[in-house]
Amino acid sequence: MIRLRRSLVQGLEAPSPTVQAVRDALQNAVKLEHATIPVYLYGLYSLKSGANVEIGRILQSVVVEEMLHMTLASNVLNAIGGSPQIDHPDFIPTYPGPLPGGVESSLTVALAPFSMSQLETYLSIEQPEDPLEFPTAALAAGDTITIGQFYTKIAKAIAVLGNNIFVKPARNQVGPELMEEAVVVTDVATAQKAIGTIVEQGEGTHTSPEAVVGPGYAHYYRFMQVKKGHFLIKTPGVKPGYAYAGPPLRFDAGGVYDVQPSPAPSLAGDNFNYTYTSLLRALHELFNGKNDSAQFNRTLGLMMSLKGQAKAMLAGIPNPDAPVGPTFVYQPVNPETPVAQT
Amino acid sequence: MSYLNALRLHFAGQFQANVSTVNNDPAHFHNRTFKSSYQDMQGTQPNGWFNPQGDAAFRLLGCKVTSASMPSGPVASGDAVLQCLVMDSDSRAPAKLVDLDSEQQLVSEIWGLQVRITDNQGQTLLSGDFEPMAFIDIWFRAQSAPPGSDTPAGAMWQSVLRSLKWGDIGHSQFLKALKKEADASGTLSIKFNLDGINMDFTSPDFMCGRIVGTIGPASIGEPAHLVIGRQFMAANTPGNQSFFQPQNGLNFCVARIDPTAKCVFLDLGNALPTDTPGSGVANLGDLVLSAAGPTGAAVPLGTIPASGAGGYTAGNWYETTAGIVVLPLSDSQLQATSAHPLTISGNAQTRISEWKSGAFVRADTYVYRMSPGETASIAVYAMQWGKALANATVSFQLDPSQLQPTQVGPGQPYVENGPPVATPKDILKVGHDPISSKHPTVVTDAHGKAILKVTAGDPKKARWFGADFGIDGQVYGLRPAFAEASLNSGPVNDGNFVSFLVWSGFSAGTPVTWHDLAPVFQQYANLYPVMNRFLDLGNYDSVVENAGFLSLAFGLNLEDPNAMPVTRDLSPAKRKAILSWLADPAHPKGQAVAAVAAAPSPATPQPQVAAAMHGGKAAAMSRRLVLQSP
Repeated sequence: MIRLRRSLVQGLEAPSPTVQAVRDALQNAVKLEHATIPVYLYGLYSLKSGANVEIGRILQSVVVEEMLHMTLASNVLNAIGGSPQIDHPDFIPTYPGPLPGGVESSLTVALAPFSMSQLETYLSIEQPEDPLEFPTAALAAGDTITIGQFYTKIAKAIAVLGNNIFVKPARNQVGPELMEEAVVVTDVATAQKAIGTIVEQGEGTHTSPEAVVGPGYAHYYRFMQVKKGHFLIKTPGVKPGYAYAGPPLRFDAGGVYDVQPSPAPSLAGDNFNYTYTSLLRALHELFNGKNDSAQFNRTLGLMMSLKGQAKAMLAGIPNPDAPVGPTFVYQPVNPETPVAQT
Repeated sequence: MSYLNALRLHFAGQFQANVSTVNNDPAHFHNRTFKSSYQDMQGTQPNGWFNPQGDAAFRLLGCKVTSASMPSGPVASGDAVLQCLVMDSDSRAPAKLVDLDSEQQLVSEIWGLQVRITDNQGQTLLSGDFEPMAFIDIWFRAQSAPPGSDTPAGAMWQSVLRSLKWGDIGHSQFLKALKKEADASGTLSIKFNLDGINMDFTSPDFMCGRIVGTIGPASIGEPAHLVIGRQFMAANTPGNQSFFQPQNGLNFCVARIDPTAKCVFLDLGNALPTDTPGSGVANLGDLVLSAAGPTGAAVPLGTIPASGAGGYTAGNWYETTAGIVVLPLSDSQLQATSAHPLTISGNAQTRISEWKSGAFVRADTYVYRMSPGETASIAVYAMQWGKALANATVSFQLDPSQLQPTQVGPGQPYVENGPPVATPKDILKVGHDPISSKHPTVVTDAHGKAILKVTAGDPKKARWFGADFGIDGQVYGLRPAFAEASLNSGPVNDGNFVSFLVWSGFSAGTPVTWHDLAPVFQQYANLYPVMNRFLDLGNYDSVVENAGFLSLAFGLNLEDPNAMPVTRDLSPAKRKAILSWLADPAHPKGQAVAAVAAAPSPATPQPQVAAAMHGGKAAAMSRRLVLQSP
């Protein structure tokens, strides 16, 4: 389970949270939600065409929800007068490394093709708070929190601050007409709904693995199906009501492009990073007032471009002897090819 | 004004043109005979040619401003523009380079390109949308390179930048001056030359080459893709069947004389050959610009030295100047240029001149896609001695000679004969008259401009493979010339004609069904393997599953860089039917569709090609109708 630094929630504690502290926390939330996306995309795009289809569907579904969470956190931040900062080198974590706000000793997250060991990383990212988990000595000092606690504290601080902190009229919101399940945030209640969706889709509720909003199980349980080798199904009348006893869900290790990220400059790698940086710029604009369908479609177009580029890179197109693993690095300038530079 | 102006910047760097090549063979449009190997990289067999997985992306890589000038001369060394980069969009998907048609591959257009001038960190100082435009004046530029590939070729694009947005340009006097000019017209003029493309798929530079270009002001009312200037015209080397090889070394080029500033701006950027692809300019001796004198003796106007100070063979001369030379003119020299043809000459083999008449006519935009019943307004500009030529009668006739139907044969990479081009002949009309039976004429106005309104008919199944669905629509060529024969007084530029893709009429049933659309989807699944990264366009379930994404992609403007590669091949009627079917929640199947999926392996031996078969443009050049025996 990921542990976040307690400093992330400084200034959120009752009785006197500050609006600025909530904004800072939400900026960190936007960063955190984004930071998982390259990790999952790398796994998704490493799957060979026609292989590991079910795993691909799970990864795809989780990625889409992480994008929704990024949107929801941005909506809450905008609603209370903040501005998500996305077009910035510091917005992207260094891979491998901790997730933003994460305690370094808690989890190192790397870009890597899908594997059962990378699945453990996914599970660690998504693992809910578990009362049976015993913290290690290093973490027992009370200086860390879980992602769920992080969001709960944001929600509580917003409740304490009340409806007065919300900008009227609603500002820079990306609503459900652009993104399914997005929540337009205008007051405490809608902010709670947005934050609740993030937590439930990620972790589930305390009583059920099913997310309240949207189809299917919370991310942790979706991934767990792969580890258990079976789909999770309801078992009415048999406690605890669910079991990994559905149809088999097998991982075909041969159905993966086993390519690690390629930090050395390359034409494909530079193009990918330039497009990725363009996407961050386009998202920055989307979440800072350019919230129309044309801009939304431009971001989708950039995502499709990245998908096409990444799949070609990992598959060794055009040169099967030289596959390239995308690195997701902020790169606002697309340089000459390494050959031309020498 | 245009880029050929005292106020201009030059830039140089690399481009990537990641075009896809399965559709290079028109026979690959034949669904029934398509084989999965046609999507593979070429080997000992042509397969899917040299880049079957290309995604059509056109990118600017590492382009830097190399110099900038103002009417007062070169900008001060501290001007921030000299540290600037020239980049493409940072807020949308990469631009696309797209052929008009499998049988007219010699007018590839750039779509969805945004050009930015940025600081060295990529912060935008200026952005503008490149008006989609095709290349022209493609030629065999790298003299000592072996033929048979695209690598020796060079070509140029000229267009305008629109929707200009300016950032913080306070540190550049040059950019402030450029903005002042641009504020008047809302546009800028841009021209660039591409050469030296690398076609080795194992190279880290695959599908990259050199780009060198110029940006300057544009005026309201001037053509967007053509300079009103002195047009130097070259003849082809006799017997040459590949890229244009000017008989006397220099390719088509243009000059503009500024009588106020008393100088001539000469653009040699796409006119000077190199030794090897992408190398420095070949040594042709000192180049002398002269005007034919009234008594026969040439009047020298200036010299461009081959070496020494400002010599054009110096390592970075081309990148720094983009091949543009400015020569001062005295009053008497100006006088000599006024109504006498100009000539550039170098060593004994190097020479290019204006026509004796000093006249020139060309369409500003020379690529049109049309639906049956649609009318295009084609603007042509006539000029003489560098000035607009008013009251000139321009005549048009169909000219299919440069279109590229395919025929199987020894050494040819084609898997079956391609469909005929430019038939039926009577599809393009002016008013009610087919151009094939009555050559239309127009008369230029005071700006040298005239508009020809061409209406398209329906070519129907002109390019089907017998009873099998084939290539949609038909391609045509229409060539302008002066009606007064004496004005047509020199070598003709083969590329100076208007290309048309006229789509076939299409009516789907109500509701539209998969049965109606399956052949179209299957064809695109065959021709664009890049789509396999997203879905299987030939599979009903896969298409339905991705209906949302496809609705978005098929709904975009052609100018949008995210328009799917197939979209620019698609008639509006077919596009409308597809969108209607995608939007129908039932996605009706209609009648059963006969399986047309690609055969898994070649059933019959494919044609053999030399491993050096590395060129789409080279192949297109060598199969132009003009070279085919009847």
